Amino acid sequence: MDRRDVVRYAIVGIPFAILIVFIVYPVISVIIRGLLSQPSVNLLEVINSPITQRTLIFTISQASVSTFLTIIIGLPGAFLIARIKFRGRWLVRAAIVVPFVLPPIAVVVGFIQMFGPYGFVDSIAMTILGTNQSVLNFAYGIIGILLAHVFYNIPLVILMVSSSLERLNPDLEDSAESLGASKIQKLRHIIFPHIRSSLFASGILVFLFCFMSFPIVLALGERGIMTVEVQIWNAFRNFDYGEASALVLLQIIITMALAISYIYLNRGATDSSGETRSIRRIGLSDLELKEKILGSIYLILILILIAGPILALGRASIFDPTTGTYTLRGFENLLELGQGGGLIPLINSLYYGGLATILAIVLGIPLAYAHQQRGKTMPTLSSIMTLLPLGISSITIAYGLMLMIAVPLGLSFNPWPIIIIAQTIIGLPFTVRSIEISLQKIDQNILDQAESLGASRLQKLFFVELPLLAPGILVGGVFAFAMAIGEMSATLFIALPQNITLSVLIYQQLGVRKFVEAGAAAVILVTLCFIAFLIIERISEDSTGGML
Amino acid sequence: MSTSYPTRKNPKTIILAIVVVATIAVASFAILTWPRPSLKVYTYDSFMLWGDNPETIDETVFGQFEIEHGIDVEIIRLPTDANGIVSRLVAESENPQADVVIGIDNILILQEAAKSVLTPYSSPNVDLIDEEVVDALDPDHYLIPFDLGLVSIIYETNFINSTSHPTIENLTLSNLATEEFATSLVTENPHQSSPGLAFLLSQITIAEKILETDWTDWWDIVKDDINVQAGWTEAWTIWHDSSERNMLVSYGTDPAYSSYYSGEAPDIAVAPFHYNDNDYSWMQIEGIGLVKNGPNQALAKQFIDYCLTAQVQQYIALNQWMFPANPNIELDDAFQYALHPEEVNLLNTLMPSSEIAANLTQWLDDWDLIMA
Repeated sequence: MDRRDVVRYAIVGIPFAILIVFIVYPVISVIIRGLLSQPSVNLLEVINSPITQRTLIFTISQASVSTFLTIIIGLPGAFLIARIKFRGRWLVRAAIVVPFVLPPIAVVVGFIQMFGPYGFVDSIAMTILGTNQSVLNFAYGIIGILLAHVFYNIPLVILMVSSSLERLNPDLEDSAESLGASKIQKLRHIIFPHIRSSLFASGILVFLFCFMSFPIVLALGERGIMTVEVQIWNAFRNFDYGEASALVLLQIIITMALAISYIYLNRGATDSSGETRSIRRIGLSDLELKEKILGSIYLILILILIAGPILALGRASIFDPTTGTYTLRGFENLLELGQGGGLIPLINSLYYGGLATILAIVLGIPLAYAHQQRGKTMPTLSSIMTLLPLGISSITIAYGLMLMIAVPLGLSFNPWPIIIIAQTIIGLPFTVRSIEISLQKIDQNILDQAESLGASRLQKLFFVELPLLAPGILVGGVFAFAMAIGEMSATLFIALPQNITLSVLIYQQLGVRKFVEAGAAAVILVTLCFIAFLIIERISEDSTGGML
Repeated sequence: MSTSYPTRKNPKTIILAIVVVATIAVASFAILTWPRPSLKVYTYDSFMLWGDNPETIDETVFGQFEIEHGIDVEIIRLPTDANGIVSRLVAESENPQADVVIGIDNILILQEAAKSVLTPYSSPNVDLIDEEVVDALDPDHYLIPFDLGLVSIIYETNFINSTSHPTIENLTLSNLATEEFATSLVTENPHQSSPGLAFLLSQITIAEKILETDWTDWWDIVKDDINVQAGWTEAWTIWHDSSERNMLVSYGTDPAYSSYYSGEAPDIAVAPFHYNDNDYSWMQIEGIGLVKNGPNQALAKQFIDYCLTAQVQQYIALNQWMFPANPNIELDDAFQYALHPEEVNLLNTLMPSSEIAANLTQWLDDWDLIMA
């Protein structure tokens, strides 16, 4: 092995080592400690218990229904985005990503305002029926959970499928048409086979997220509806570490199976879909009347479901429901220091999120390179390592970080570095993926030329590769930032009062019925995410959908 | 043909600059947030924040102790509830940071995990508190009572009163199970909320100890009618906003709180359970305890002594809306509307702690299965 190989292994090895220290080691330690704890636990007993069985059945069925609904509702959107010409596409594209990166707790606030009893939809129904009693409640219970999951994950389907559609070579469709294919035939034999892998890949991701769903189920679920993640949380709360370990193991087995199938599907997807020289789009005026009507109905539905909760958040931030007046108190609170004030959490959110973004990029670049290595072991290994955070309960990661890292180092009383690490881990899969996409597009010839002109390795990296990677790094960084400022479960467990972030603040303020303050903090989070995505849509020519 | 290429700086300089800037930023944040020496008290997020001046309450209540002992007292309101505090103490048990913990109650202390992070301390000031209450919380003094409250059903008198619903005056499980009352009731998930758990234990105690029936039957009857929310806040919101849900599992001091802030007689009343000419209610006792192997044990003991005196106890009623554990404190006039401990028989006394400790997990599992 020469010196360059050593350097290369070290560069890939460092992020691996970091992931092992901060995910694998804490989580495995927590699992082993739990299984060895007293009273001793029987793995099979936990898995066979009626509670676990019920939780598992509910988790899988709600995830399946959520995935199905998300795809059904998202597909038309993907076609509209890919095929219709209109002004402000980039704006719409940026806006579509927003639900995905919103902190769950902000979604909960918006959902209750929009679909809850006496919410916006309910008020309209009440006016129509001429009653002053609440008639509709879509925010709580199973319906609320399903709707929230659709809201959350629809960006995945729309962006992934539309970016695949945009890569469909228009010549193919033209030939089909000139050969007399009907619309249905075209859809079945050309379009569907083309988008199939992106559809499955997005479906698996949506299923994975719904399977792991925690804050939404906790906040909107009634009467003890539980996902596996909620049951793990309950087990930790009741100090039943044995049960928690058994459930975490069960969860990892299922999510890893999903993650591995995602990696394989994705590998198939990237091979077939190169960029096309043109994209087939039609103007609004070319649509038939029937298509226009259907399209409008769809848009209204999407606006209610997706934009509704976000706009409702805006209203919640200035309207005080207890006095029925408008106020700017919520935003003033964000500038206040001290108990319950929002300034420290705002600074914390920006600072932790900023550092987590830098860390995610520093770790993400070598991991993305590892994905590109020849052979199968290295890419699969690094894919699994980066997908780990999606498949392991964030509560377990947080507990493990606390127990195995923070406490032995004496950091539990000043735990902000641990919070940054937890937030980095959560966003890492997205950062790595977007950098990887840019990496695939780099032309090896350019690198060779730089080398033959005498550029050192460092110069090549800084002046050739990194500038070419810049869009991917930017997109990855924005995802890392958005995930970091939205993270709540792990931060909630690790944080002391001086470490709370905006997401945690929202959760606390909802707890003491300060809806205006919670709404204002949520609006700030949404705005931060939105601005970030506007910037990347403007700067990067490529769509963010391709990266997922 | 001459093209001038921009001159490139040495990448090493750029890396160095970034590293220096990042280091300075991180270091200054670290210095600003470095913990100062202090007595650290873990408690839950809303501790003493329900009064007129939540911003200054810590200084008002604990300032005297700080001056006397020349140390800062840090009241650390963890963004969680009492279960979450114990979880954190368990995680920190190899290197504890906190000295004192306030907020673990008489149900949570039955868990081994809670006892494992505390050291028993028999404060000389324990005499200031009724022996009965001290023993009801923990006879071994892992915890000493800090405050207490009665978990009861409260109702809105505009919708339910003794004229419209005479049975509210003599509430039993069976009339609470009638469709009219059950569809009006909001409660909390016993896994996630201490009043929710206290209500479940009240119901189990009445069914098993007073009526001598299987407690699960009642939940089978009401499960489709009652509304179970995740926590007290969610439940309160539904109860407050909806004109159909007028009964809430909450605290017997709620009418006093309402009256104090509205300045009028409250439109909320308390309905304790009523059997054999007696009112029954569940008492929640929140304790203060010494963290095992905490850094400042001697000072922590003095702090616990201090918390039992009138200097602290006098602030509990109007800031915490619980009863002070110290019974010699005079209460605000608003408390005439509250349900007082001496007005009821305590359900806790009918249900031995050992029985709760042995069965709690099973009861919660059974409850989950019924409600599914």
